[in-house]
Amino acid sequence: MPKFGMRTRIILLFIIVSIGGLVLLNKVFQSKHNEIHNSLGNMELSSQLREIRLHSKEDSLKAESLMKKFDSSKALVDITLGESRIATSVVLLLIIISSTTIFITVICRLSKPLKELKHATEQIRQGDFSVHLPETGIPEMRELKNSFNVMSRELETTQTRLLVAEKEMIWKDLSRILAHEIKNPLTPIQLVIQRLEERLESDCDKIKELLPESISIISQEVDNLQLLAQDFSNYAKVNQPNTEELNPALSIREIVKSYVQNFQINLELSDELRIKFDKTHFYQVITNILQNAIDASGADSAIDIRLYKERSYAVLSIQDQGSGIESKDLPRIFEPYYSKKSKGTGLGLALVKRLCDANDTIIRVKSKPDEGSEFTLIMDDLTT
Amino acid sequence: MFEALGTRIMVGVISLSMLLFSSFKGNDPQLGTINHYSSSSTLYLSGELLSAFDNDFDTVFASSATIPVYFTLKIKSGNRNVVNRQFKHLVKFNPATGIYELRKDGKPDVFRSSSMQQIVKEISQYSFSVPYQSSWGLISVSVQAEMPIVRFEELNKEVDLMVLWKYKKPSAKIQIDLRKAQ
Repeated sequence: MPKFGMRTRIILLFIIVSIGGLVLLNKVFQSKHNEIHNSLGNMELSSQLREIRLHSKEDSLKAESLMKKFDSSKALVDITLGESRIATSVVLLLIIISSTTIFITVICRLSKPLKELKHATEQIRQGDFSVHLPETGIPEMRELKNSFNVMSRELETTQTRLLVAEKEMIWKDLSRILAHEIKNPLTPIQLVIQRLEERLESDCDKIKELLPESISIISQEVDNLQLLAQDFSNYAKVNQPNTEELNPALSIREIVKSYVQNFQINLELSDELRIKFDKTHFYQVITNILQNAIDASGADSAIDIRLYKERSYAVLSIQDQGSGIESKDLPRIFEPYYSKKSKGTGLGLALVKRLCDANDTIIRVKSKPDEGSEFTLIMDDLTT
Repeated sequence: MFEALGTRIMVGVISLSMLLFSSFKGNDPQLGTINHYSSSSTLYLSGELLSAFDNDFDTVFASSATIPVYFTLKIKSGNRNVVNRQFKHLVKFNPATGIYELRKDGKPDVFRSSSMQQIVKEISQYSFSVPYQSSWGLISVSVQAEMPIVRFEELNKEVDLMVLWKYKKPSAKIQIDLRKAQ
């Protein structure tokens, strides 16, 4: 059965009720007409009057005049009845046609602006605040459209302001973080240089003794600066993933190989699972999460990595028993530059989230302070 | 042209509304085929009006008013109107005697009858004779029947008899090649 909209239902109801009512009324009217017509047919005067023997010419003339009047009246009533029947049906037809036309026009004129509003609301929902409705139609509708236009203009202005403010905030944060992160390695370098300068002035011969340590410090801090630049660069250039079929268990074993000598990492990996992931991205995701787990854990604390199948998904869990994350910080851990660690740029987990999104992977985190954190990746299993 | 279009629309609306909403029968008059033959200079045309007086005319004919039926004859030669004439059939009833009298244009005799059926039969039939010129060549002959507004003197009232024909004016057309007819 076809589905009718409210407008169609109202129109149909109106047409059925109005036509039904008028047709019923017409039926009653027509049957009464028929009754009159039949009664008229039964009225016969002339033939009976003709049979009466009239004694004088005067009587005959009177009777003839009476008969003429009666017959004329009968014919007139008959014709008038016919006329009235035709007029009734024509008027009825015209009423139905005109009222239906007027009703449909009114309904369309009312519903058209509502449709426009619906369409405009849809555009605003999709983020296009430039939508502007022509302020036409009935006064109430003009008012409604005007309010809508004012609202969309205000939304547009607010959005522009917000964008500017957001950009400004990002630049401020970025500048602050960059200044802080660059300043950290620069301070030891500056101190080393100062020491070398002092020694050069006071005891030039012993400067050689200081050189290896100084070079090591400078080299270490330059490495730190390079790492910082690399982190920023990595975050900025997350490109389209070049996905391929991966054996996640195999990749995880390769990544973990360099860590197992220094840290206690327990593996429980299902080898049958296959996923679709960019190999480089997968490496970056696992390394970042694992490094965070190591940073949060003590030296003798274990990290559990489990890979298993759940329905049609491959689920990877990396769980540590480290310091954990405060519940108030949990919603923000994937935001760029958000970090509670003394070291780091705050880009690691933000990068992980971006890479997971790019590879259609869901990432979830559960954490309790002083109990540890668990990061879970949920990916489509290709073997299903 | 606009008048004809207007009449057609009106007749269409009336027919549709009556079909949908009325029990009024009325009459659906039609003109039968036009019969013709010609002598050297006169064209004789005849035909019959069908289903024109079946309903409601008994009271109208018996009203003692003179009831006319008009037959309009138009003959066109090419785009030129060569004949445009109206013939009248008149019926009158005498209530005192119960006799109908019928007079037809062009016929000197008066037809009298007490039978309504006879009168209807007679009034429905028409026959005209018109002089023609052989130079007319191929002619288009059309006959249209209609009834006028009639005045009931006894009541001092006018009525449009076309109501009983549901405002339809029946017509018939024929083409005659006068060169062949000769």
